[in-house]
Amino acid sequence: MTIDELRARAAQRQQTCSQIKKMIVSRLDLEIEPGWITDDQPLFGRGLELDSLDVLELYVAIEAEFGVALYDSDMAVFGSVSRLADEVDPSLRATA
Amino acid sequence: MASVLATRHPEDTVYGQVGDVTVPLRFSTLAGEYQVLRERAAVLDLGGHRLIEITGPAAVDFAQRILARDVEYLTSDRCMMSLVLDDSGQVVDQVIAFGREDGLLLESSCGAGSKLLDHLNAHAVDGAEITDRSAELTVIGLEGPYAWGVVGRLIDGELASLPFESVVDATWEDVDIVFARTGYTGEYGYQMIVPREAASRLWAGALEHAQAAGQEALELAMLEVRQPIPRHEATPGATVIEIGANWLVDITKDDFVGRDAVLEAFESGDGRRTVGFTGCEGVPAPGTRVLAGGQDVGEVVHAVHSTGLGATLGLARVDPELAAAGLDLTVGGLGVTTLTSPYIVPKSWSIPII
Repeated sequence: MTIDELRARAAQRQQTCSQIKKMIVSRLDLEIEPGWITDDQPLFGRGLELDSLDVLELYVAIEAEFGVALYDSDMAVFGSVSRLADEVDPSLRATA
Repeated sequence: MASVLATRHPEDTVYGQVGDVTVPLRFSTLAGEYQVLRERAAVLDLGGHRLIEITGPAAVDFAQRILARDVEYLTSDRCMMSLVLDDSGQVVDQVIAFGREDGLLLESSCGAGSKLLDHLNAHAVDGAEITDRSAELTVIGLEGPYAWGVVGRLIDGELASLPFESVVDATWEDVDIVFARTGYTGEYGYQMIVPREAASRLWAGALEHAQAAGQEALELAMLEVRQPIPRHEATPGATVIEIGANWLVDITKDDFVGRDAVLEAFESGDGRRTVGFTGCEGVPAPGTRVLAGGQDVGEVVHAVHSTGLGATLGLARVDPELAAAGLDLTVGGLGVTTLTSPYIVPKSWSIPII
């Protein structure tokens, strides 16, 4: 892949991550700018310190915004924003 | 400074110098200790973490100015992880701050105690007394998907299910200890701050229910869940934003040492960003160039062989527009793929405490 193709692919993921961050900040009424959340930081417990109620709120929000239903048995999807991006847009999972 | 537990370590323990301390890197094999940490429960000698007490009427105000996260209301039953920054926003250390009745207790990262203490003393104010308690106290950790079971058998089952970052003043065999639910690896994690004279007994007691793991296994497991390791990641000149440790800074806090520099770095968007990668043969050294489409776009920060992935796992600092998972890049002439964090899903995420 050329560098421009790699940049385009990265931009696709970064755009989805940005959308997820805005959703998290809005739904959970956080006082930080969405961009302050990094793609790779932990979300549950450490990091953004989401609790189980926050996660329930995000299940609803993700289904409403992305049309994707997540299952509450798999906490791994809340491992990071980038991990959530993989769930809401599976095409991001394929390597370049 | 060597660990107070050194006499209890196996004879063939491999030690190494980390910052200002000599610590056990491994007691047996990295693969075996890693497996214990990820599959069962590991006991950690965290004697390389310095314990520094801040007391006095100005203790909280002083800590609030020094720590990058908000500790104004950190009560004696809570702890939190925070960065400590210098005026230019560079990372001095990553600490755990324990709320105490008469102030705070700071636990440095491994080998960074002298640097942290120097920084605290350089910013000292009247009314805040800074005391290194490391000659009296040490830290023993427990991490793993079944670490909660060890807590139950060793001390008290009710302590095992404390909420994350809770702190309890507990008693173990008539010894006063500070017990905390913490964690560096994404697994269930606990820390016990114990008088040095009782540490050997507690260590031996813990080993009746779990196996020891050294610094190498701990740092590998930390890397796998993108828990910052300052001694590897806080390279000279790197900003908090470049390291990706934003979550250890409370940017909504009005004032703390380094805030202006961090805010400037965030708002400018300048610098590189850190992303994980796997692939290639061997373990590339820090500074190895990273190429995208044949162009130099960054460098390796830190890399190891990940037992969990069965492959090289590393962090690269690259141009922001290429800091994303799922890209095929080149490191030292060999192909790698960038990753989504966490790189290994902790087993504890699917195991309830019972």
